[in-house]
Amino acid sequence: MSTVNTWTSMQHFWLIILGFFVAFIPRFLPLMLFTKRAIPEWFNEWMKYVPVSLFTALVVKDIFIDSATYQLVFGHIAEMLAAVIVVVIAYRTRSMAISVIVGLIAVFLLSLVVA
Amino acid sequence: MNKRRPNPKQVPDPDEPLWRSTLRVAMPLNLSYIPIGLACGILLHAAGFNTLLTGLVSLLIFSGGAQFLIATMLTINSPLLSIVLMLFFLELRYALLSSSLSPYLKGQSNRFLFIFAISLNDENYAINYLKFATDKKWTGKEALMVEHYSLLFWAVSNVIGSLIGSALKIDLSIVNFALTALFLYMIVMQIKNRLTIVICLISGVLAAVCMMATKSTLGLVISTLIASLIGFLLESTLRKKLPDSHWLWKLRSPGAKKSAVENSNE
Repeated sequence: MSTVNTWTSMQHFWLIILGFFVAFIPRFLPLMLFTKRAIPEWFNEWMKYVPVSLFTALVVKDIFIDSATYQLVFGHIAEMLAAVIVVVIAYRTRSMAISVIVGLIAVFLLSLVVA
Repeated sequence: MNKRRPNPKQVPDPDEPLWRSTLRVAMPLNLSYIPIGLACGILLHAAGFNTLLTGLVSLLIFSGGAQFLIATMLTINSPLLSIVLMLFFLELRYALLSSSLSPYLKGQSNRFLFIFAISLNDENYAINYLKFATDKKWTGKEALMVEHYSLLFWAVSNVIGSLIGSALKIDLSIVNFALTALFLYMIVMQIKNRLTIVICLISGVLAAVCMMATKSTLGLVISTLIASLIGFLLESTLRKKLPDSHWLWKLRSPGAKKSAVENSNE
């Protein structure tokens, strides 16, 4: 990635304002609705699986999906190996900060070796 | 570091002021926001954002995923409308997160919900959901303080990252991995039984298929909805037909807080 973007700061500003609205509305409306009326039990049971499904999907996107073409790629060897290391570290230490920092160091060192 | 993680079993000190006890809960997240925020600030700087706007985007959008996406899409020169559309699909997931928090925020004023929604994001959601589920004394007020601590650390780290980005040359693909590592950590913390691991695998495959089919992050929303629905259906079927199934056995792990969450759910 290089600095090829030609947007002005004003355009960046409008992007932030529009981004704020699309970020805020999905956070606010369900809170507004569901704190006023009862949520069915099955809905709660369903929502229980949302975080784990979402986070897995995001990881797959980061590691296996090309951000420009949305095609499946298996070339990110350093990221794949570092991901395994992060899972082991997270499981052993239960520490968010250690997991992230070890992950960054691992992907840096691995990319020197395999890339 | 381990002493500072939110451990529902530790004895609370009754004299500890609220700002400190909530800060203690928020601290692991705050610390991990430093490398991720720095990374995000560096990427936004590379995408052309100035330092002031980097601070603003961190305060107003406050989402690692969204800010990384903005940085990526700006560097490939996407038009404004398509970036906003992608953000919308990426941020749609918050509807699911805030739905699942709503049982714990009943009776709060609209003003409170408004402020709470502004600073809600994946990571402080994970912490607050765990606390709400395990700690009877955890209320909206404490949860909001955790959100604000994480917002402060996030915004400051982004601004510093932006300044670093203008001073140094850094490999951005490595920096990008900070967020992936954070999500992996979140997954590990959510795994309660073998069934959850199956759901992870299903979700991963579905995510890849849906994103290739939609050619956008809309695929993320679709696959998340389907995978979580499959998880819900599988679990309720198993509990009805095979209550002793080993797929429902709790997984033992070095940290004990998962079992606390499970017990409160039963």
